[in-house]
Amino acid sequence: MNPLAMNHSAMNRLACRGLDLSIGGVSIVREFNFTLEPGSFWGLLGANGSGKTTLLKCLAGLRAPDVGQVVLDGISIDELPRRVLARHIGMLQQHTAYVFDSSVLQTALTGRHPHLGYWQREGREDIGKAIAALNAADLSGLTERSVTGLSGGEARRVAFATLLVQEPRIMLLDEPTNHLDLRHQVWIMGMIRALSVQAEGAAIAALHDVNLAARYCSHVLMLFGNGEWTAGTIGELLNETSLERLYGCAVRKLESPDGPCFYPLTH
Amino acid sequence: MTLDQWAQALLHPGADQGDLLWRLRLPRALSAWTVGALLSLSGCLMQVLLRNPLADPYILGVSGGAAFASLLGMTAGVASAFTPLLALSGSLVSILLVFGLARGEGPWSTTRLLLTGVVTASGWAALISLVLSLGNDSSLRGMLFWLMGDLGYATTPSWALLVLALVFLICLGLARSLNVLAMGETTARLLGEPTQRLLWLIYLLASVLTASAVSIAGNIGFVGLIVPHLTRLLLGSDHRMLLPAATLFGGIFLVISDTLARTVMAPEQLPVGVITALLGVPLFLLLLNRAKLKL
Repeated sequence: MNPLAMNHSAMNRLACRGLDLSIGGVSIVREFNFTLEPGSFWGLLGANGSGKTTLLKCLAGLRAPDVGQVVLDGISIDELPRRVLARHIGMLQQHTAYVFDSSVLQTALTGRHPHLGYWQREGREDIGKAIAALNAADLSGLTERSVTGLSGGEARRVAFATLLVQEPRIMLLDEPTNHLDLRHQVWIMGMIRALSVQAEGAAIAALHDVNLAARYCSHVLMLFGNGEWTAGTIGELLNETSLERLYGCAVRKLESPDGPCFYPLTH
Repeated sequence: MTLDQWAQALLHPGADQGDLLWRLRLPRALSAWTVGALLSLSGCLMQVLLRNPLADPYILGVSGGAAFASLLGMTAGVASAFTPLLALSGSLVSILLVFGLARGEGPWSTTRLLLTGVVTASGWAALISLVLSLGNDSSLRGMLFWLMGDLGYATTPSWALLVLALVFLICLGLARSLNVLAMGETTARLLGEPTQRLLWLIYLLASVLTASAVSIAGNIGFVGLIVPHLTRLLLGSDHRMLLPAATLFGGIFLVISDTLARTVMAPEQLPVGVITALLGVPLFLLLLNRAKLKL
């Protein structure tokens, strides 16, 4: 193989090599080898407490694994300064709590932080990006409102808009549809998919809604809560058997014109 | 005095009124401004550090160490000229103590810092009560004045102004980082801020500001709580705006309070801390009420 091509294949991706990760003595993943290929959108599925958030935090460099490493473009992420990392990897956290009064626009502008120098102020271009992201998030009428007075869903969209302003090519999202109404659920999933199919983009989102994963994701990663995991395409992994194993409850599949739908059986 | 007399006094430092103005009033006003500015800037930092808009500069026990050391000095009959020096060393001891105890082995934890600071502060409070109960009656009045905050001993605060200027410049450079940090430590890290370093730096800067203020004027309450809060309400939470404005307003607030302290019951002088509290408490409750209505 051409060494340049090999070099290229190692670029633009976030990968885990031989990762062992645990929290409070409970194993989340063992011998985890995983590559977030450009152009892919992964759904991260697992029961409550199976370690989805912890794994995302590990991918973001917020938490060190027990064994193994997370590498970005071939470099271990704990060797990269946070500022550099923040230009490539962004994360939407599960909870968004704003304590200090700050306008929605000001908050969205914090997404430019890793791109600006020490004394530099946000320029016209940065403000343009923030306004565009807020428009995309249906928040154009709220730009001057204080973030402390927003509804749960609005605060969620502000946090996502901030992530858009940050412009990371790799997006880690912890339950992005939390607090969102139906329209905004499909909106946010559509946005993430659109951004992840771009040349260098990629995303992984922890989700509880299997049907959203089926509809928008290209791949799924399942965590079984005991260190076992499985990764593959939607077609390979999203079926009654694997979902029953994952959630410990009976699941049935319905075919709809827009693809398969899964629903749990009542006891 | 008329405006003309003021001008005369300013232009002729040698004359009687000029002497009064240049040697007493101006240094005292400058001290008041500096102390107010130090406390207000420190309050802004503490609030981000503890991610609580109600944190004040004394919350982590910096003033307790200062108070204990200077009261001990007063009891032992050390000349009052040494009080600022004693206060400064007391607060530095307290800063290092809290820093050392809270840092421990693990990563930064706001809860740990807060608990360590608050418990250390109550430790100092107990020691202060001990000194007060053992002190003789003649020194008790001076001690109480000091504890309530008093600018009576203040001289031209040149070194404190230097501290203020230096820390202010550093903070201004950190202002955008403070904006990000105000959204939470994890959020700040995700936005590219190496928070461990930043948080300890802010703790040390805020403590040094408080220590400087305390060593000049004792414990003046409410400035560091009210002024940043009020400035936030007026101008928003962008620290690039908030820090300079709160610093300026903190100084002005204390100059006004000190003027009141000197004049309200003249010739009797009140400790300025009483005035800031008397102004501060109703103002704060009013703000709190307004904030509740808005939420």
